[in-house]
Amino acid sequence: MTTTAPTGTQPPAAPPASAPTPVAPPPRKGNPWLPTFRGVSLMTRIELRRRRPSTKGYIFYGILFAIVIAICIAAAIFTPAQLSSTNFEIVLIMVLGVGMLIAPSLSATSINGDSGEGVLAPLQMSHLTAGDIAVGKLLASWTVSVFALVALSPFLIYTYLSSGWRLGEMLITIGAILLVVLTFTAVGLAWSSIAARAVASVALAHLTTGFFLIGTIIVFGVSTLLVTEEAPDRDRYIDYGQMTPAAEDALNDAYMTGDFSALNADDYTCIDSEWAYTVTHTEKVAWILLMNPAVMITETAPIVDPETWEEDGRAAPGVFANVHQLLSEARLGPDDELTGYEPWDECADLERQISAAAQVSDEDMEAEWAETEADWEARQREVANLERAPWLGLGVSVLLLVGSMWIVINRLRVPYKKLRSGTRVA
Amino acid sequence: MTATAQAPAPVREAIVATGVARSFGSVHAVQDATLTVPAGSVTALIGPNGCGKTTLMLMLSGLLRPDAGTITVAGHNPSTDAAAVRASIGWMPDQLGSWDNLTCLQTLTLMGEAYRIPRATARARGVDLLARVHLSEFAERPARVLSRGQKQRLSLARALVHDPGVLLLDEPANGLDPRSRIELRTLVREFAGEGRAVLVSSHVLAELDEMVDDAIFMSQGRTLGDDAAAMVADAKTKYRVDALEPQVLHEALAAYNVPFEAQEYGAIVRIDDAHKAAQALAWLVQQGVAVHRFGPVGSALEQTYMAMNEERR
Ligand SMILES: Nc1ncnc2c1ncn2[C@@H]1O[C@H](COP(=O)(O)OP(=O)(O)OP(=O)(O)O)[C@@H](O)[C@H]1O
Ligand SMILES: [Mg+2]
Repeated sequence: MTTTAPTGTQPPAAPPASAPTPVAPPPRKGNPWLPTFRGVSLMTRIELRRRRPSTKGYIFYGILFAIVIAICIAAAIFTPAQLSSTNFEIVLIMVLGVGMLIAPSLSATSINGDSGEGVLAPLQMSHLTAGDIAVGKLLASWTVSVFALVALSPFLIYTYLSSGWRLGEMLITIGAILLVVLTFTAVGLAWSSIAARAVASVALAHLTTGFFLIGTIIVFGVSTLLVTEEAPDRDRYIDYGQMTPAAEDALNDAYMTGDFSALNADDYTCIDSEWAYTVTHTEKVAWILLMNPAVMITETAPIVDPETWEEDGRAAPGVFANVHQLLSEARLGPDDELTGYEPWDECADLERQISAAAQVSDEDMEAEWAETEADWEARQREVANLERAPWLGLGVSVLLLVGSMWIVINRLRVPYKKLRSGTRVA
Repeated sequence: MTATAQAPAPVREAIVATGVARSFGSVHAVQDATLTVPAGSVTALIGPNGCGKTTLMLMLSGLLRPDAGTITVAGHNPSTDAAAVRASIGWMPDQLGSWDNLTCLQTLTLMGEAYRIPRATARARGVDLLARVHLSEFAERPARVLSRGQKQRLSLARALVHDPGVLLLDEPANGLDPRSRIELRTLVREFAGEGRAVLVSSHVLAELDEMVDDAIFMSQGRTLGDDAAAMVADAKTKYRVDALEPQVLHEALAAYNVPFEAQEYGAIVRIDDAHKAAQALAWLVQQGVAVHRFGPVGSALEQTYMAMNEERR
């Protein structure tokens, strides 16, 4: 090949030193806005590089991580010899806390901050679509929570080993945590695309997070008042006022000794007392709690049976299992058998005592108590084993995520029709 | 310039805008702007502060939707084909913005990648562009240490990463030192020589005089069109003649019915071109007028600007 072309194929003349490298960007059509894989990964790369923290930032993160790691070390050290899931759950809460604190703060200054610095418009001019910019910024801010997860993974793994959780369960709960952080990062991003000033958007982002984490609990508390019903009840009492002193003494003796045989039922008159007690139908408003993202996360945790946890290879019910119990209690509402009010009839009781040939035996009493306790335990088991309900929280989370990103992408699309009030494009 | 094989495909009228308007709430930033910028030429956009130059450029660049009017850039309509319009435009905003943490070269490379240029190519082009704007020694320095003028030049380089056919430069000379201004002038002429259409706004009119082919004046959101063009053409014919004895000059001009504006130092006369100017000078000397200074009055754009009914917002 080398000999066949003596003169014709000289290498193309090198361009003159001043001529810049030729480039051929692909042509564009229409006004696309959907995110693309290349665009999103480039945008994420740009954001991660340019938002590398400053020295002060590193100090802040350092302090934060020192605190978190101290807590985690404590959790790891105080892991008791037997299985215990609480320590593992504390580490999971730390991951969630760090993510929820930092990621939305970062995203909440991402768009209005860039626009103020004048670096947003040049990106919008490029081939990056609104979707690329939005999703890239979302992922870049969210990555912080992934870093937190990675940084805390030694503790996570160590405490996991003695937590009685299965691997798949851990992965699902971690997935739920990352999803919640992603959602609230998107909410922060949405605020930063709406508000002109960073202070406002950061405050609004944290307020939104606060509303879903704490506000839902408050709203639940308040709304229980709406589902509280009054149930009338009629009790009967022995009327001590109309009793002869002798009869009273006899009655007191009988209560002391448990021997009612000497009493005459006719000596005692009865009075009716009508009053109202309240029943709170929490099952009607429990869904408010289910919208809480933290509750959604605990609802992804495995169910721990309070009776059989040892045979099941679980740890004793920990934080998440207790939250699940409280929540299930609310979801089931009041139990008529257990908590429902049984009218108290002192007279009937007395008559029964008198007419009973024999006294109530201790065995009978114990049997009765045992029955009550068995009922109570059955209820506890029912509550603890109630099917997990993360779906509503999951739906809310996904809805918030999609809604926020929809707002962000719409706000980033150019040509602008309306500008964020009080801002310029450039 | 060399005959460039990779020059953007020639589009005769790179920018055409007719009756463009845009308001922000109650502020009518641009009310009626009409302009054309042919490929391979430099057009100036001139007007007082707040007359709507930046707003007009934003609409041309496909970042802002006009309320009314039609725009075509490089053959595309920004209201239907905004991405194509943006892709064909190199925009240098008047607001300086740079990624503080990134070096100049990283900035240009990432920007090139944002235009879907392969990374190696984008980087090579970044190196070339930094050389072109004389920032090579800052290639590896973070953008936050750059001075204002250096940032301005980085911004110019950034506008060129994707080799656009149309350049919108919003006050590019802002903050540049005298040498950089002259270099900018040469650069802008080179861009036009490469076949690009350049629309440049600036407040330094004396500078524009030397680099623009055409000028568009704006006032209170309106382009002034033909009136202003006529005024510029008229201003270009004005010559200033300084004589030791202005009286003698005035008499000589009056004797031959040459229209002139009498001045303390001499007179202002209208002369169509350089040949006629040479003849006129010879004739004046012949008439015994002691001419000690003879030349164009000064910046034609500046004169037109000053003659325009002056308003500021
Ligand atoms: N986003 C905005 N919201 C409200 N008013 C705006 C906005 N952008 C521009 N304006 C107003 O529109 C008018 C034109 O602004 P523009 O920035 O286009 O002026 P300009 O000609 O570029 O001025 P300069 O020479 O100072 O750069 C001004 O009165 C300005 O206050
Ligand atoms: Mg301006």
